This record gives sequence, structure tokens and C-alpha cells, in this order.
Amino acid sequence: MDNYSKYVTAYVETFAVSADDAPGLRYQSIPAWDSVGHMALIAALEGVFSVELDIDDIIDFSSFERGKEILSKYAVVV
Amino acid sequence: MEQQSTVQSPSSLDIKDIIRHQRNRYPVLLVDKIIELTPGKSAVGIKCFTYNEWFFPGHFDDEPNVPGFVQIESLVQTFIMTFLCMDEYSGQKTNFVSINNIRFRRKIVPGDVLRIEASLKTLSRGIAIGCATSTVDGAEACSAEFVVALPAVLEKYKPRSA
Repeated sequence: MDNYSKYVTAYVETFAVSADDAPGLRYQSIPAWDSVGHMALIAALEGVFSVELDIDDIIDFSSFERGKEILSKYAVVV
Repeated sequence: MEQQSTVQSPSSLDIKDIIRHQRNRYPVLLVDKIIELTPGKSAVGIKCFTYNEWFFPGHFDDEPNVPGFVQIESLVQTFIMTFLCMDEYSGQKTNFVSINNIRFRRKIVPGDVLRIEASLKTLSRGIAIGCATSTVDGAEACSAEFVVALPAVLEKYKPRSA
């Protein structure tokens, strides 16, 4: 599975959304992406990509698209 | 005048200590004392059930036994003491995120004393993961795995803007 598929799968499994819906997601755009869901997503991504995000990056991780940019700082190309 | 704890060991908590550390109150404070405590790792709790419990008349009048949700609350309230006993988390509210692999092995009836052994697997960024198992007279009664959130901690990590 390539990195993009892994990235989408993290959203699908964390928020129970379809793979088609994942790219448009933003924090609080769906009920599941609340403060608890946010940490669940971060934990899922850290597990999938074997990285540990800094607190500033966790706070800055506000959307599907922004998340890709943040992961690139950790040498994860999505 | 504030009353002092009745327990002698720093590794155990009486009901006043529990009330100081966690936010559950009657009728949903469902652990009586903590008899063993390793902060950040594990706790052993005791819950005594008498016929005077508020739920027995309704569950059921002809066959009183402890409802499953009460058993789960007893487990998780022991579990959360593994970290609410720590200064940085003491007194915080907690929320369930998920409960997994629940097993009910036997009925719990008036007169039973529940011994609950809980362990904290991880606590990171306001998310606590662990499990608990209860026994009555050495026989397993109930077990479950928990993911519990500390909303006040999560607040520090939520995105500034959507």
C-alpha cells in the first residue's frame, strides 16, 4: 500500500468515512473529527508512518491537505 | 473541617481520597477503596454491593443482580485512578472513547465484593489506554479494555483553526 492509500485509510478507519470523502475533511467538518477524534487520527498516523509529531504540528494539523504538508516535515511523502 | 484519609499506606486510597481525585459522585461513584496503587501503572479497587444499592429494586425485583453498565463503571473508575492519582491529572473529568472486548462471566448479587485489577498501558496526550478485570471470591466476573480521554488535556492539542 502506498503512502497516500495509508493516509486515506487512517481517515477512513478513524472517522468511518468513505475514501472518497476523506480528502475534503477539515477539523470539525464532521462530528467524528472533534478533539478526541483528532488525537485518534494523530495516533493512527504516527503508528502507520512510524513518526512522532511535535505538539505544534499536532495543533497545526487542521485538515486532510494540511496534514500532508506536515507529514512531509517528517520525511513522509503522501 | 476537612477529614483526613483513613488509609495508612500511601499506595492505597479510601473513599475520601477517591472523591478528591475523581469527579464521579453518588449514585455513580462505583468504587469504594483502592487497596493497591502504582501511579501511572496499576490499581486494585474494591466495590462492595449491598441490597441497598439504588439499582437492585429495578434490576430485578425478583432476581437482584448488578447491571452490566454498573460493572463496567466499577472497572473504569478503578482504571482511571491509575492516573487521576497523579498531581497533573487529579480531579480532571474523563470521557469514554471506546470500550472493547467486554466479557461478563458471572452474576454479581447483593453481598458480593468485587475486586478490580486495572492496568494502564499508555497515557499520552490525554488518551489513556488500558484494561481491568474484576473477580468475586477469586472467580472472574467481568473484564474490558478501555480508551479514556482527558478533555482538559486534549484541549491543548486541538487545532487552532478548522
